Amino acid sequence: MTDQAETGADKGVARASARRRGEMLNRLALAGSIPFFFGLWELVSRSGIVNVVLFPPPSTVAAAIVEWTASGQLFIDFGMSVSRVVVGFLAGAVAGIVIGILTGRHQLISNLLGPVFQLLRPIPPIAFVPIVILWFGLGELGKYFLVFWGVFFTVWVSAHLGVQRVDERLIRAARVLGTPEKRMLSEVLFPGALPFIFVGLRTSVSISFYTLVAAELAGTFAGLAYRIDIAQQNLQMGQMLGGLVMLGLISAIADKLFSLLSTKVVWWT
Amino acid sequence: MTYSAPNTKTAESLNGAKMQKPGNIDIDKVSIIFGEGESTFIAVDRVSAHIESGEFVCILGPSGCGKSTLLNVIAGFEAPSEGAVRIDGRTVDGPGADRSMVFQTASLFPWKSVRGNVAFGPRMLGTSDSEAFEIADELLETVGLAAFADAKPQTLSGGMQQRVAIARALANRPNILLMDEPFGALDAQTRLMMQENLLKIWKDFNTTIVFVTHDIDEAIFLSDRIFVMSASPGRIVQELEVTLGRPRATDIVVDPAYAELKRSCMDTIRTESLRAFEQQMDRAK
Repeated sequence: MTDQAETGADKGVARASARRRGEMLNRLALAGSIPFFFGLWELVSRSGIVNVVLFPPPSTVAAAIVEWTASGQLFIDFGMSVSRVVVGFLAGAVAGIVIGILTGRHQLISNLLGPVFQLLRPIPPIAFVPIVILWFGLGELGKYFLVFWGVFFTVWVSAHLGVQRVDERLIRAARVLGTPEKRMLSEVLFPGALPFIFVGLRTSVSISFYTLVAAELAGTFAGLAYRIDIAQQNLQMGQMLGGLVMLGLISAIADKLFSLLSTKVVWWT
Repeated sequence: MTYSAPNTKTAESLNGAKMQKPGNIDIDKVSIIFGEGESTFIAVDRVSAHIESGEFVCILGPSGCGKSTLLNVIAGFEAPSEGAVRIDGRTVDGPGADRSMVFQTASLFPWKSVRGNVAFGPRMLGTSDSEAFEIADELLETVGLAAFADAKPQTLSGGMQQRVAIARALANRPNILLMDEPFGALDAQTRLMMQENLLKIWKDFNTTIVFVTHDIDEAIFLSDRIFVMSASPGRIVQELEVTLGRPRATDIVVDPAYAELKRSCMDTIRTESLRAFEQQMDRAK
């Protein structure tokens, strides 16, 4: 830009400052997004347009969360919910990866299990709630099962497709380098499928939180979604919305952590 | 090279001066037929050839003439419909570490570093990791990429990636190196550099090289012998001895002998292309 004619340089400077203004505005919008949302909410709640009991302002919700924390109940609810998600997710992920690799690699196993899985897969985990109560009662096992059900099929599909879509050229390269069949899985197929598997796993993180809600509404003694349910019965609107905020917060944090993990593990994608 | 590879050890330890060097390829009336009935397609039609240990042979032909398919049969990826390929008297029945291959795309493992890629073959043959990495570093030196040992392959240029692929293919010290249009995707300058580099490597490693290409200049510059293939059906229609001396430099193109060889290749290819074209027109009628 230095060797441009004067007018051109002036235009260049004007363009640059316009771009800077645009960037500033963009950053402002990003930083202001959440405060703006809460501000608007507070305003609408207090304005009298809506029933303040049913639609409490964020300040009331914040107070409810503080009280929830102070009583120590929040930590119990939080711990219970997280443990259900973690156990169900891990079980579903491990089973999904192992069986997905098996069905992806072996036609016989795929023919045997594929049709059954395709039949079971579309059943929403929530539809299982009444049955799960009869099968497992109100204990933790039923909660694990529901989360597992939500996670398993998604991970299975991603592992199955992932193994099948490993670049044929990489498999050939490995074979020509003398890779024994039994090491092909660990050296080429598994790492080759890993990016696919991680997409499935990340989707499953959100799914496990959906299923968690269904699982806790089915009856339990602690948990974030359970707290929302109980608060409804007492018409504690602040507590209910506080429960939603907490659910949203941990599932967002879980997703963020997972995306960080996946950039570490499948660093080459 | 300070290390000895597993598959050359036997030949060396027998220390017989009369002992034939490994890496001889016998292509014995090989046909490869795809499909059945109406849709039968003869990709390779009764091709026979003998390639001596340490020879540099190019298979030259238009796309679709079955030259890559033939290479895949030597590699053991494809079973011939008729005939057989024998390596030092043993019939090929699958891929083996005695024959390495460099593909049209570098096909490096993206989850491994450059060094990890080159060390892959020795590790698969049971060499310890540290020893395999030593071998890798030595080979990366040979292809001029020692400084990039820790780099991710996908950060390298196409030419550099292909050099890593060549180093990886050499790491098992194969008797035979199969190359399937390895420089086809590179720009002209890089390709010339790669060709010179390859000739140096070939001289150092003394392997048999079978190199598939559709580039006449490339074939003449590199090889001892050229098999010219024609399409539909894929046959060897001409065999040319490249009598140009070695070492060859890029200015070889001004040699009259070079021009003569090129003219001969072009004539054959033109005649064959015309024939294949007319055949297709007839079939279309």
